[in-house]
Amino acid sequence: MQLNIFQQQPHAVLPIGDHDDRVRQEFSKSFRQYIQNELLPGLTPVFEGRASRKFENENGHPPADRHEIRKAMVPDIYFQTYASATRIAQEMLWESVIKPLQKELPELTDKAVALSDQSNSPLETDSDFSVPRYISELDIHCMPGGYATSHAEHDIAAGALYDRGVYLYSMGFMGPDNDDMGQSVCNYIKRNLPEFSPQYILDLGCTIGHSTLPYKKEFPDADVIGIDVAAPCIRYAHARAAAMGHDVGFLQRNAENTGFEDGSFDLIVSHILLHETSGKAMPKIFEEGYRLLKPGGYMIHADLPPFEKMGPFMQFILDNETYYNNEPFWGAMRTMDQIQLAIDAGFDPDSVRFDTAPMAVMELSAEDQAELEDREFVAGEYAPGGGWEVLIARKDP
Amino acid sequence: MSDSLPEDSPVPELKRHAKGKRPGFYETGGMDEAMSMIMVLASEFCVLRDRVDTIEHIARIKGVDLAKEIESFEPNLPILEEREKRRQGFLERLYYVTQKKAAEQSSNDTEERYHEVLKDIAET
Repeated sequence: MQLNIFQQQPHAVLPIGDHDDRVRQEFSKSFRQYIQNELLPGLTPVFEGRASRKFENENGHPPADRHEIRKAMVPDIYFQTYASATRIAQEMLWESVIKPLQKELPELTDKAVALSDQSNSPLETDSDFSVPRYISELDIHCMPGGYATSHAEHDIAAGALYDRGVYLYSMGFMGPDNDDMGQSVCNYIKRNLPEFSPQYILDLGCTIGHSTLPYKKEFPDADVIGIDVAAPCIRYAHARAAAMGHDVGFLQRNAENTGFEDGSFDLIVSHILLHETSGKAMPKIFEEGYRLLKPGGYMIHADLPPFEKMGPFMQFILDNETYYNNEPFWGAMRTMDQIQLAIDAGFDPDSVRFDTAPMAVMELSAEDQAELEDREFVAGEYAPGGGWEVLIARKDP
Repeated sequence: MSDSLPEDSPVPELKRHAKGKRPGFYETGGMDEAMSMIMVLASEFCVLRDRVDTIEHIARIKGVDLAKEIESFEPNLPILEEREKRRQGFLERLYYVTQKKAAEQSSNDTEERYHEVLKDIAET
C-alpha cells in the first residue's frame, strides 16, 4: 500500500520488519528530519556570534574558509550536539533495518534467487573480483558491513539493507521506488536533449539499480545495464528489477575499467557515485566513459554541487559528512575541477558543463512545487535547492 | 567473523558496527555514550507510544484479537501524519535546552547580561 510519494513502495525483496521495527525506522527518519529542519538552522547564529568571536580573539582574524570554520565550530557545544545527533541518527537508521533484515534474510534470499532465475537479463558476479580500497577501507555512510561484504554465494544482505536505508536516509525524498535521481536525470534529458534517443545505456556504480530502472522506463527499447563493484548489491539489483518487472542487466564491474568494448554506449550515467570513489579513480572513470561512448554520446554524472558553487559556511556544513559519516572522498571530490577532468578525458570542451536537474519527486507534488520556486541553496537539505547537480559532457559526433 | 562463509553455512550474522573509527563529539567523558543511550531510549519510547496508538485505533475500530491485528495493521495517511507531528513535538521537548541556547544566541541573552540584571535589581 503506497500512501503518498514520500512512502516507500514495498516489493518482493524489500526488508521492512514488524510493527515495532517499522516505528524504529520511522523514528530514525523523524529524528533526521528534526535535526535538519530544527537543529541545523541554529548553527548559523552560533557561528556568526560566539564561535567566530572566539576564533577571532585567538587567531587575530575571523574564520576565512571551511577549515577555519570547522576549527571554530568543533569546540562549540551547540555544534557538538548537532553533529553527535546526526551521527546517532545514522547509527539508529541502520540498526533499525539490520534487526528485521537478519530475521527475514533467508526468505528474502530465496525470493531473490527465484526472481533472478526467472529474469532474461544478464546477472554477472565474479568471486575473484577485486573491490577497490575506496569502497573496502571504511564502511561508507556508516552502513555496517559496507556495500561489498558478501557472506555467501547468493548473499543479498548489503543490497537489501541499502534499499531500505536509502529511503530512510533520504526521508522519502527519493520517491516510492528510491528512483528520484535516475528519474530526475531522465526528465532532464527529455527536456534538454529532446532529439537524443539512446539505444545503449550504462549506469556506473549502480548499487541496487534504484537509479538505473527509470532509464528503462523512459527508453523502453534501449539496452540498459548497471554495473557496480559490490556483488551483494548487484545480485539484489537484479532480483529487485525482476520483482518490479524491468528487463535490466546487472554486472559486477569497476567503473574505472569496465571491460566493455570501445564505443559500446550512447549514454553513460552515474548517481552519487563520484564522491564515493577517489582522487585517482575519478579521472579514470571519466576516461573510461569517453572510451565507452559512441560518437555523439553523452556522459552525465549526478551528485551534489562542487564547493565553488557555495559559500564557506555551506561548504563546512556539507563537509561534516567527510568527518562524521565515513565519507572519505566527500569533501575532496568537491574541490576537484570536474570540468577540466572531462576535457582532459577527451570530451568536447564546449559541451562540458554543470546544470541542475529538478528533483522529479518534487515535480510530482504540485504543492511542494509551489514552495520550490525562488529557493536558494540551503545546506543540509536532502537535495540542496530541490535539484540534483549534473555534470554533462558530450563526445564529438 | 569471516566475510566469506561456505555456501551451506547457516544464516550469516549481519554486522552491527561500521568499519571506521567513531568520532567523539563531546569533551566530557561518557557524554557520547550517554547521548546515544538517550536517543535509543527516546526511540523505544516512540515505539511504545506508537504501539499504544495502534492498539487504540484498532480497539476503536474492531476490538478483537489485538495482537494479531497489530501485526496486520497499516496506518493510513492521517495517522502517519499525526505520528509525525507527535514525534517532532517530542524532539522539540527533548532539545529544549539546545533550542534555548540557540534562542539566546539570536537575542544576545548572555550570562553577562544576567549578572548585570542581578546587580541592577539589587541596587535599584
